[in-house]
Amino acid sequence: MSNRKSIEKPLPSVVENMEEWPIYVTYKNKEEFLHKVKKHVLKHSSWLNKEPDTLRNELKNILYQEKIRLTKTPWKSDDPKEKLFWSGIKKQIRNQKPIENRGDTQEVDQAILNEILDYYTDKMVANFKPSTFRFAQKALPFVYSRLINSFPRILSKIFSSVDKLYDRMKITGDIDHIRKLQEMGTVVVVPTHYSNLDSPTIGLSLNNLGLSAFTYGAGINLFTIKTLSKFMHNLGAYKVDRRRKHRLYIETLKAYSTVALTENVNSLFYPGGSRSKTGKLEEKLKLGLLGTVIDAQRINLVENGGKKIFIIPVTLNYHYVLEAKKLIESHLKNMGKENYLEDENTNSFGLIKRTYKVITSNPGMTVSFAPAMDVFGNRVDENGESFCKIGNKVQVADYFKLNGKIERNVQRDSQYTQILGDRILEEFRENTVVLSSNLVAFVAFQIIRKRFSQFSVFEILSLPKDETTIAELEFKIVMERIKDRLIQLDKENKILLSEDIDLNPKELMTAGIQKVGSSHPKYVLRIKKGEISTQSMKLLYYYHNKLTGYGLEEYV
Amino acid sequence: MQKVGVIGTGNFGLALANLLSINREVLIYARREEIAEKINTTREHKGQVISEKVVAISDFEEITRECKLIFPIVPSSNFKEMLVQLSPFLTPEHILIHGTKGLHIESDINEVEELHRTEVLTMSELILKETSVVRVGCIAGPNLAKELSDKQIGGTVVASRYNDVITEGKKALHSSIFRVYGSNEVMGVEIASVLKNYIAIAAGMLEGLGYGDNSKALLITRGMAEMIFFGKAFGAGEKAFMGLAGIGDLMATCNSKLSRNFRVGYFLAQGKKADEILADLNEVAEGIKTIKVVHLLRHYRFNSPLADALHKVIYEDWDIEKGLSYVMNLPVSDDTDFFNTND
Repeated sequence: MSNRKSIEKPLPSVVENMEEWPIYVTYKNKEEFLHKVKKHVLKHSSWLNKEPDTLRNELKNILYQEKIRLTKTPWKSDDPKEKLFWSGIKKQIRNQKPIENRGDTQEVDQAILNEILDYYTDKMVANFKPSTFRFAQKALPFVYSRLINSFPRILSKIFSSVDKLYDRMKITGDIDHIRKLQEMGTVVVVPTHYSNLDSPTIGLSLNNLGLSAFTYGAGINLFTIKTLSKFMHNLGAYKVDRRRKHRLYIETLKAYSTVALTENVNSLFYPGGSRSKTGKLEEKLKLGLLGTVIDAQRINLVENGGKKIFIIPVTLNYHYVLEAKKLIESHLKNMGKENYLEDENTNSFGLIKRTYKVITSNPGMTVSFAPAMDVFGNRVDENGESFCKIGNKVQVADYFKLNGKIERNVQRDSQYTQILGDRILEEFRENTVVLSSNLVAFVAFQIIRKRFSQFSVFEILSLPKDETTIAELEFKIVMERIKDRLIQLDKENKILLSEDIDLNPKELMTAGIQKVGSSHPKYVLRIKKGEISTQSMKLLYYYHNKLTGYGLEEYV
Repeated sequence: MQKVGVIGTGNFGLALANLLSINREVLIYARREEIAEKINTTREHKGQVISEKVVAISDFEEITRECKLIFPIVPSSNFKEMLVQLSPFLTPEHILIHGTKGLHIESDINEVEELHRTEVLTMSELILKETSVVRVGCIAGPNLAKELSDKQIGGTVVASRYNDVITEGKKALHSSIFRVYGSNEVMGVEIASVLKNYIAIAAGMLEGLGYGDNSKALLITRGMAEMIFFGKAFGAGEKAFMGLAGIGDLMATCNSKLSRNFRVGYFLAQGKKADEILADLNEVAEGIKTIKVVHLLRHYRFNSPLADALHKVIYEDWDIEKGLSYVMNLPVSDDTDFFNTND
């Protein structure tokens, strides 16, 4: 079914007229869209429709949590008028009489709830301006390629650099199939997440595929610079405040995503949630927002003539991740604890600086689109028909039917989301592209690890430099064994290999060592006088992690 | 109301069809057409009187078309073959609740020296692997077919990750003589219903050797502990073992001469050989196979003294008394050690 190829140049849009794009139509009729979002929240939040005091307590809880957030974790991006808004809500709640004394209490509580919902959705909602998109379409590749070409000698070289973009940035996948699916339904892209550079990278890739624009949730910490904030807003980014954890906000966010999908707006989620701190592929997904594709597909079957939603996992494969050091150190220190302060520092200006730095020094990247699936993880053919793992044609409606009727069932759908999550993880693994840098990092770290097999990872990471030097010959022998195994895995469709893996051993080793984490102040690997050494075991560990989980260790 | 399907005309399949017929019309699948015909004409099979609301057929396409809720009750050794034939007619709309108390092994257990987790599938895992069905469940508990067919009061558990599978199972099966409980612990329920088979063999042996109630209570309690140790190694929680499929089924099968596995143990204690007993029974005793499977999985380092001893007796020609002495001389640990171990 799959017909994988690389894009040589940007493809024309599948739907040429931007004003026909669902993202444009939906955000143009913003009020109607937000009305549907709010209606969805009120209809499906079962906890809202229980006893009158449930709602009252929930409102108090929301107020309390918002107050804590404003005082304990204030961010620059916070709306200055927000305090005023919550004071108003507080007054309204305080002025309410006890529930047992007033018959209309619930109505008033409901009004307060609606006010909060209005506030949330108003802050959340994205926009789509064709003029901004057109500007981005023209500017982004230029800026990107201009940046990639680190030292353009003469002006003419700058203009020719757009063509060279694809030497550095490979986009591969069954492109024709994905474009065809866009004509038949809604496309949801779910990428791996390593770096803050992922969003511009994936944005550019999707544009080059000629797909209609995608809406996506972006952390509000990225909305600090007014101009950039507006730019992102007008490109379909809706604002997500990850500090808000209470259920009304979460349900509003989910409803937003669900309704956007049922309006046929292409969407993007990072199912891993945050960037991989270890450099490993995602091992576990955050299923909250992902679950909205199941609910949206059910609604489409009942209300939208069965329009299908297609899921496309994407792996982003870098030789160099600028944040690698910070991420791996944070992992080693906190063992995965969330750290909001760090995110707060990652503001939009910081992102520009980082992006610039990464791209100017980046030896390349590969964006790999996996075969498309339906919302249950079944592969789909060129006509959008679903086929289960044993090859039987299946109808998505059948998954929702009970006694012949399509029904909403949150518990069932949470299980389906789990199935989809597992399939995405499987596709991530199978569509990871092994770069020369991944291979050499894996080989080097595993040789050292084997040498000190009784040591814990922490002990290995603090080994002195002279204990971690590897002879070139030993390195090459192990590298060849791992390469052979990778070729075997590639044949079994369990991983993908980049072209540089085909190089002869000497060239492969040199290319990989040159490229792995090439712009960190300390070198990740270096070859000198027939010896391979590292200045940072932590970074070596980080880059090595990409190939863990494939059982390659036993070939070291 | 939609018809309910049963696949398999063994004792339990027939008894289940009768219980389902209290609430619904039932289609029961018989592999051989003459059996289907016999059931439909004589309303009797394997000594059980078959309800008028049960119709026997020999067509997979028909049963999947007419019934969206189907109970496959087929021995584990034939389960995969049945699924392969059934699979083309199944869709994700179907709900399958199996009642097979056995494991599917991908390798030939007589040829290999050890088994790996990926080669050992519970029946619900096998259904998920071989069909497009996703809503899968299992039924297990103290359900001796003879007593069910005599319409004695009883109960069972329907386990599934999906609440609608449990609800549909209950709606179809729950009645004034048969209580149906629900559980989300599918793995635990399946493991319990598989492992209790060899505990029942051991119980039969004790009975055959003339031991009394204290001995059997010791066996049942430690048998449950052993089931939990194994379950944990397989990724199951411990809750299901305390329910009908665990302690409930253990109490029934370890005390009943109606249980095939119990009878195997009993006759072994009487000096008969396993092959002869199985030939005489003319029925499947899943416990014999389970002992071998547990033995081949022992490299996962769970605590299984009873399975070890039974393996020595059945597959290594140990004398039963020697096997018993082996178990009784092992070191003892905490009474309720199964609650707090992750080993």
